[in-house]
Amino acid sequence: MRRYVRPMIPVIILYLTLLLVGLSSESRWQPVAFIMFYIALGQALNMFLGMTGYVDFGYVAFLALGSYGMALAFSSFSSLGLWVILLGFVLAIIMSSLLSLAVGAIALRLRGAYFAIATIGVNEGFRYLVEGVRLWGGSEGIIISSTMKDIFGSDLSNYISTFVADIMVFVIGFIAAFLTVYIINSRIGYALMAVREDEDAARVMGVFATKYKIMAFAMSAIFAGLIGASAWTLKLTYVFPEDVFNITYTVEAIAIVMLGGAGTLTGPIMGGLIYGFLRYYLSTVLPGFQLLVVAPLLVLIVTIFPEGVMGYVKRKVRNTRFEKYII
Amino acid sequence: MPFLEQLAGNLIYGAILGAVYGLATMGLSQIFGVLKIVNVGHGAFIMLGAFTAYWMFTLYSINPMLSIPIALVIGLSMGLAVFYTVIRRLIGAPELSSLLATFGIGIFLEELAKFFWGPDHRGYTWNIGSVNLSITLIPYSKLLAFGMSIIIALILYSIFQKTRIGTAIRAVVEDREGAMVCGVNVTRIYALSFAIGIGLTVMSGVLVTLFVPVGINPYMGGEYTLKAFVIAVLGGLSSPWGAFVGGFIFGLLENGSYTILSLFPNVEPFSLTRFVAFSVLLIILLVKPTGLMGGEGE
Repeated sequence: MRRYVRPMIPVIILYLTLLLVGLSSESRWQPVAFIMFYIALGQALNMFLGMTGYVDFGYVAFLALGSYGMALAFSSFSSLGLWVILLGFVLAIIMSSLLSLAVGAIALRLRGAYFAIATIGVNEGFRYLVEGVRLWGGSEGIIISSTMKDIFGSDLSNYISTFVADIMVFVIGFIAAFLTVYIINSRIGYALMAVREDEDAARVMGVFATKYKIMAFAMSAIFAGLIGASAWTLKLTYVFPEDVFNITYTVEAIAIVMLGGAGTLTGPIMGGLIYGFLRYYLSTVLPGFQLLVVAPLLVLIVTIFPEGVMGYVKRKVRNTRFEKYII
Repeated sequence: MPFLEQLAGNLIYGAILGAVYGLATMGLSQIFGVLKIVNVGHGAFIMLGAFTAYWMFTLYSINPMLSIPIALVIGLSMGLAVFYTVIRRLIGAPELSSLLATFGIGIFLEELAKFFWGPDHRGYTWNIGSVNLSITLIPYSKLLAFGMSIIIALILYSIFQKTRIGTAIRAVVEDREGAMVCGVNVTRIYALSFAIGIGLTVMSGVLVTLFVPVGINPYMGGEYTLKAFVIAVLGGLSSPWGAFVGGFIFGLLENGSYTILSLFPNVEPFSLTRFVAFSVLLIILLVKPTGLMGGEGE
């Protein structure tokens, strides 16, 4: 039990601090929610990328499907009342996991750059299919704000999109952290680590690599879908294919995982914290030109500091009594 | 038969555009072939080439064909600069690093372009008449772009086959250690290959402007990066010649399928052509990852 509890202590401290800072004043809630989105995103992607070393460049497609799942629940089942949100999350899980199984079964045979390109292809292909055959509203997307007002009234729907949606992202991120600890300490984690270090050797040793890779892929996709459903659809009350399939989010997620340290538990949280804070801060001082600072920073991290913040910390605390707390 | 005429016209146009696509992808394949790095920031260099042509034309009224050597010089020097600052450290690193770094470079270039030139869509017209093929009207400027792409590809081919540098590059692709033992300075070959790749890409950006009348803007490159991926995979990802042929196929496929998809009611043919393109990409990756023209194994 202790091997599950101890690594969670830093996570709980980080989450609580963030939550308290956010609740301390009304003006701090939105920045905290902004940062929280990136933390959750990093954690979701870390389950796959951090554990397996495979680079999914089309990761945002899972967020997109999750946000469509929520939007479809609102546009087709608005008679359910409050239950429609629950149904939305269920649809988000179903849709993102189905896509992950389809992509996983096909694209996970490819490795390295070929896998990255194939996943970009899936993401872009799906986006143009949605726009091309006018699926789910086509390029006009789905706007749920008026449906939401009809069901909940304007006060409650306002509350949902400015507070409940953000809390949901908090909860999703926290569950993702729990699951990550469990995975790291389980058979799945060991198998994935073996695959990450040397897939061929792992296969020879009897690790059923494909099974574990698909498991990690699907779990990661489900969390992405949940994040898309709450941080995009519930919060923004609309879904446009151009936004939700935007490759920038994939790259941001990868950057967060790398910045914090791929494959570590606290890494994506630290990465999301640093990245989210930096982006928010820069958008107030340099509106419109945040990326001008973020992009070179990205290159710098990758070339000079590839192990990430927590990767570095983890190396430093090895053989000390803090070792068991940082994984 | 208006449909067949339209199809024929679009296919001719597709072949012309395809040559430019091919050239615009050769740089990507060249870099992957030698360095095993996928340049995700590829499109940003096309954008630079497009802006080169635009500024040369509007400020100094230099015609786009004469901008090509200027673009080559810009591309080669940028390639060398990027190689020695960033790429050199990423050789042999996991894909994660190189994909992210090249994407970062791409975004950085785009943001720089936006910072200096603003986000507006720009364009220019270089009108030198057109030839009438009875089914369609082809401007001479596009024919020139077509010819120029083929000439540049042929020049590159002869450099690779006939010169010492070209032989050295091929040797490094074949067997890195072996080439090193034979006295080839591998890092310098990497630098040179990267620079040539970027040079080709920036040059192709000049030619691209002849096909997008008002589409020159800092973010124009993303579309070409994605198209280049599809084309490069068609041609086998690591072969510049495969990429050139892939460009033709892609041009024909894109324009041909557009004509056919326009026949269906209630669809967006433009978006669907891209869906077709990415479906082709996935199918090829699954069935024959070495590309249509590629040999066996990697």
